[in-house]
Formats: sequence, structure tokens, C-alpha cells
Amino acid sequence: METSEYNKVRNFILVSMIIVPLIPFFLALLVGNHSFSRSIENMTIEAMERISEDHRQMIESFLDERTHDLELIFNTIDLSDLVQPQTLSSIFQQLQLTSSAFVDLGLFDESGVHKAYHGPYDLSGKVYRDMPWFQQTINNGVFVSDVFLGYRNVPHFIIAVAKKQEDRTWVIRATVDSQQFNHIVRQIRIGKTGEAYLLNRQGVLQTDRRSGGNLMETPQERLPLSPEDTLIHTFIHQVPGGEPFLYATTWLKDGNWLMVVRQEESDAFSALRSARMPILFILLIGVGCIVAIAFGLTGAIVRKMEHTDSEKALLNQQLIGASRLAEIGEMSTGFAHEINNPLQIISAELSLIKVLQEEMIESRELTTGESYTEVADSMNQIKTQIGRCSRITASILKFGRQAETRSERFDLAAAIPEIVSMVEKKAEVHGIRIKHELPNAPIWINADVSRLQQVILNLLNNAMDAIIEHRGSSGGTIKVRLFSGNNGLANINVSDDGSGIAPDNMEKVFAPFFTTKPVGKGTGLGLSVCFGIVQQMGGKMEVESTVGQGTTFTISLPLE
Amino acid sequence: MEKMKMMLVDDEERFLLTTRKLLEKKNFEVLTASSGVDALELLRTNRVHVVILDVKMPGMDGVATLREIKARFPMVEVIMLTGHATVESAIEGLKSGAVDYLMKPADIEDIIAKSLDAFNRRIDIEEKIRVARMRKFMKSPREIIKDAEL
Repeated sequence: METSEYNKVRNFILVSMIIVPLIPFFLALLVGNHSFSRSIENMTIEAMERISEDHRQMIESFLDERTHDLELIFNTIDLSDLVQPQTLSSIFQQLQLTSSAFVDLGLFDESGVHKAYHGPYDLSGKVYRDMPWFQQTINNGVFVSDVFLGYRNVPHFIIAVAKKQEDRTWVIRATVDSQQFNHIVRQIRIGKTGEAYLLNRQGVLQTDRRSGGNLMETPQERLPLSPEDTLIHTFIHQVPGGEPFLYATTWLKDGNWLMVVRQEESDAFSALRSARMPILFILLIGVGCIVAIAFGLTGAIVRKMEHTDSEKALLNQQLIGASRLAEIGEMSTGFAHEINNPLQIISAELSLIKVLQEEMIESRELTTGESYTEVADSMNQIKTQIGRCSRITASILKFGRQAETRSERFDLAAAIPEIVSMVEKKAEVHGIRIKHELPNAPIWINADVSRLQQVILNLLNNAMDAIIEHRGSSGGTIKVRLFSGNNGLANINVSDDGSGIAPDNMEKVFAPFFTTKPVGKGTGLGLSVCFGIVQQMGGKMEVESTVGQGTTFTISLPLE
Repeated sequence: MEKMKMMLVDDEERFLLTTRKLLEKKNFEVLTASSGVDALELLRTNRVHVVILDVKMPGMDGVATLREIKARFPMVEVIMLTGHATVESAIEGLKSGAVDYLMKPADIEDIIAKSLDAFNRRIDIEEKIRVARMRKFMKSPREIIKDAEL
């Protein structure tokens, strides 16, 4: 397969393996993140609403209690007694017992004249009829003022209650220290930036604000007005150039004051951020794993494919090689046989020439001189070459011979030393040692012993030639190793430390007529005959070689 | 002693011609035939001791010719001439009554040597037959007379 095709396959697998798992992974994370954020947001907002509701009630009940205190005075004490300054003083003492918030106490008639007063200031006799608070008290029965700073620079507000009795209207007014609910409101702390404060209708601070803004000041930001009918209004508001805040506002004191609970949005939703960190972490790890696995698996798949393809290609090559070899075998057999007839004729003609020559010498038609000797030499050469041709055809015919094998069961471990011993003498002459490495147990195979012998002798002879070529008379080592492989095959290795085979020649070693030996020394048929024989036995023959280091031939034969 | 009479059977004319010349120079009587049929025809009319028979011939092949020769002329000795690929047929020839075989290309000396061996064997057998007949004669002359009468 082409490299570009591998790349195509690789890209396809890679993209599929990354995208397919990523889609559900992202979906799961998104859905998880979304519902998680929602629940955290809801929880945060609910907490804020609860705080503002609780504190609203606390302040409302504080105001109610103080108002009730004043109403109680009207209801329990006769007005004729009330105008007495001592009575008011004793009532004040009583009130101080229940709540230290009262600063002073005063009684007015309907014309706004201060009838009695107990407190730090001398206010008796002052007329308040035209004061707005007085009018409102007369009209509504109850009045609670906004906060103001009194003479002592302490935040105060007033509570006034009106009472009709026998055609006269009386008003009782108390100044209340707002420090107490200032404290209630100030103590609210949520997270790092969460705070609460009160505003009046004009947006003036009725309590201190921790994040800046004192009582009676007007904060810069204009909050959107909450609708009157909602109990608690939550929203996010941002002053230009400032942090966005999460607000919860609620009206109290009949819509005169606004209680604001606010927290910086980033602080309020910090849980969200800290929850997002692990999600991000999971995302990164997950994507990393998916991509890494995709790359790893794709690499493995493509490598496996390449491996299989190259194995297939090799197998094809071997099959083609084997069939070509068979074709060549068949062709050369026919060729060799046909060559024998002309050789026979040449041989006969040569013999005839010799006989005729002798006759001519006898009849003195020819003299035995220098030329005669040369002719005789030339004719001998013809005879030699006929012999050579005949040997070549004999080897070809051996190579092509298909039939007549006599298979028998024999022990390779016993047969190999016998075969090796046949060439040991010749090896010794050249200083070559032949080592064999045999298993202890017999290895039984079914084959033709004499043909196997022919193969191994051929390999041993080649090995010796290679050593002699490479090392001359200094000798070398041939190793014959026999072992049974794990695939039901008996393996015979014949290794030498000779000249080795050039990479260019590796493909041709088993081809008929291929030889690197000098002219006349080899027919180029030995290995191809061996190859044919081994193949006929149902085995395989392979070669490995490094130039200058040696060659190993491996024969694998099926076990019995 | 009787001179050896040979017959060469091959489809190669030049081989027949040259080998015949050579053998004649060595003082052998030689007949040639270029096919099995011709060979059988010649054997019918000529006395031949040894036949050199090529295994591979068009038409009637060597082995078939050999069987025919052995069937019709059992006293003729046959030497098979074969290429290596046809060693099988040489073996088959030997089983069918050939006395020997030669591998192509064969030296004329080999041809002569093997032919002479075959010829001598033939002579030997003929001698044995003659002796056997003689014994028979010496044992019972009457029977000879009977035979003669028959």
C-alpha cells in the first residue's frame, strides 16, 4: 500500500477515535457543569434571600416592639398622669429595662405642644404642629422616621404614636438609638465581600456600610427599584468600572426602607469557580487520555497493517519466486534433454575425427608435427567441454527431476553428524572446524535421506568455499545447528564466517544458473537444486547474510 | 568366432551415420534404423546380436520398441540409450529385458564396451544352449532321432 494511503487510513482512524468519544464526553461534562452551576447559583441566591428575609424580620420586629412599647404607654397609663414629668421619667426607666435603645420620651397634644419630656435635652414647650412627622402621626396613628444624626452625632430615628381620647389627640414620641439595628445589619457577613445595609426611599444610607459609605450618605450606585409587591428581589448590578454585585433587596417599614444584601458576584459564585476547576481538570485529563489512546492505537493499527501488508508482499514474492523457479526448472529440464542429443552427435563426430586422423597418419597423408599436437590438444579441449556440458545438463536434469523420492522415517539428530563427517576431512585440510549443536532428543522426520544429504553437503561445500575465499588458508568455523522449532518444524542452520553474500545477490542465490564462482567452477545450480529438493519435502529454505561476516542458511522441514 | 552385429536405433540421422562409420572402422557390422518400426522390420530380415536403442523417439518410443523386440526376437540383446531425465524409463527398460543402459552423451568406447559385454553374454547363452543340446544328444540318441522324425 502507498504511504499516502496509510496516512489516509491513519487520519481517518485518528479522527474517528478522537471525535467519537469526545462528543459524549463533552456532552456529559456540559450537562454536568450546567446543572451543577444552576444548583450552586440557586443555592447561593436562596442563601442570600434567606439572610435578607431573616434580617428584614429582625428589623421589622425591632421596630414593631418599640412601637408597641409606646402604644402600651397610652393603653396602660392615664393621660392625666402622663403629663406629669415624674411619670414620664418612671416610664422611661421602665422602657430602658426592656430596651436600652430609647434615648428620650416626649408627649404632645394635638396642637403639637410639648406637654412633657424626659431626656437629655430641654425641649418642653416647643411647638411641633407644622412638623411633617407630627402631621403624619396625626394622620396615620403611627410614624417611624428615617435615621438622622442627633446632637451627639449618634444615629437616631423617632417613633411617634397618636392616640384619640375624649375628642383630644395625644402623641407620644420616642427617640431611638438606631445603633442596635445598625449592629444587626452590620453583623451580616457572607463570604469575603457579603454585606447588608439599609436605604431609605431617597437612597440615603440608614446604616453604615462595611464596604464604604457612612450613615446618611448616599451611595453612588442607583439600584434598580424593586417592585413593591415582591418580597425579595434578587438581581445582578454593576457600577461602571466596578465589580458586579449580586443583590437581594427587600422592602421594610411599609416600603420606606430598603434592606440591601449584596455580595461581589465573583465571591458569591466562588463555589462555582472552585467546582469548575475539577471539571476543567477532568476535561483536560479526559481529552488528553482520549487523544493519547487514539494516537497510540492508531499507530499500533497502522503498524500492524504495514506489517501484515509487507508480510503479504513478501509471501507473494516468495510464491512468485517459487513458481518461477518451478517454471525455470521445467524449461531447463527440457532444454538440457535436448542439448544431450547434439552433444551425443558432437561426441561421436569427435571420435570419428580421431579415428580418421589416425588412419591418415598411418597412410602418411598426415604427419605428426607441431600442428598435429595443437589439433590434438584442441580436440581434447572439445572433449573436455563436452564433458562440462554434460555435467551441466546432468545438474539441470537433477534440479528438474520431480519424481522418484523415497521417503523414510529417520532421526535428523543422528543423520546430521554422519553427513558432516563426510566433509570433515576436506574441511581439516583447509583448517576449517565444523561444530555441531544437536538436541539430545531425536528429531524424527519423513524425507529422502540421500537427497537431504545432497542438500546439506551442498551447503557445507558452499560454506567451505566462502571461508576459503574470505580467509584463505587461515581457516574458519562452520556451525551446524539442529533444533525443533515451535511451529512443528525441524530447523537446520548452517552458518559460516566466510565472505557473506552481497545484498544485491541475496534475491538471486536460489535462482538457477546464478553463481559468483569463477567460470567453470560452479554451475549455479547447487542452491537452486537444494531449494527445489527442500520445497519438494514440504520445507522452506532461507538465507541470512552479512558481507564480510558470514552467511546462515536455514532449512525448515516439517516434523514427522 | 562370429563377428558382432549391431543395430543403432535413433531418430538422429547424423548420430546414426557417424556412429555407424566409427563402429565399422572398429570392424563391427552395423545396421541403423531411425524408428522403432524400421528396427523391427530390419530385425526380421537380418541377424543382429546387439541393439542400441534410444529411449526417446517420436512415434513408437524406446520402451515400446524394446518390448516388441523382446517379444519377437528374445535372443537379441538391447542396450538403452538415455538422457538423465529418462533414467526412469531406463529402469523400466531394464525391467522389460534390456541388458544395460548408456547415458547420453556416451563415448564411443563406452558404447563398444557395453555392446561387447552384451554380445559376450549373448554368446555365453548361445554356448550354454549348444551345450545343453549336446548333452541331450549324448544322453538319448533315440530322442534325437525322434526329434528328427518329428
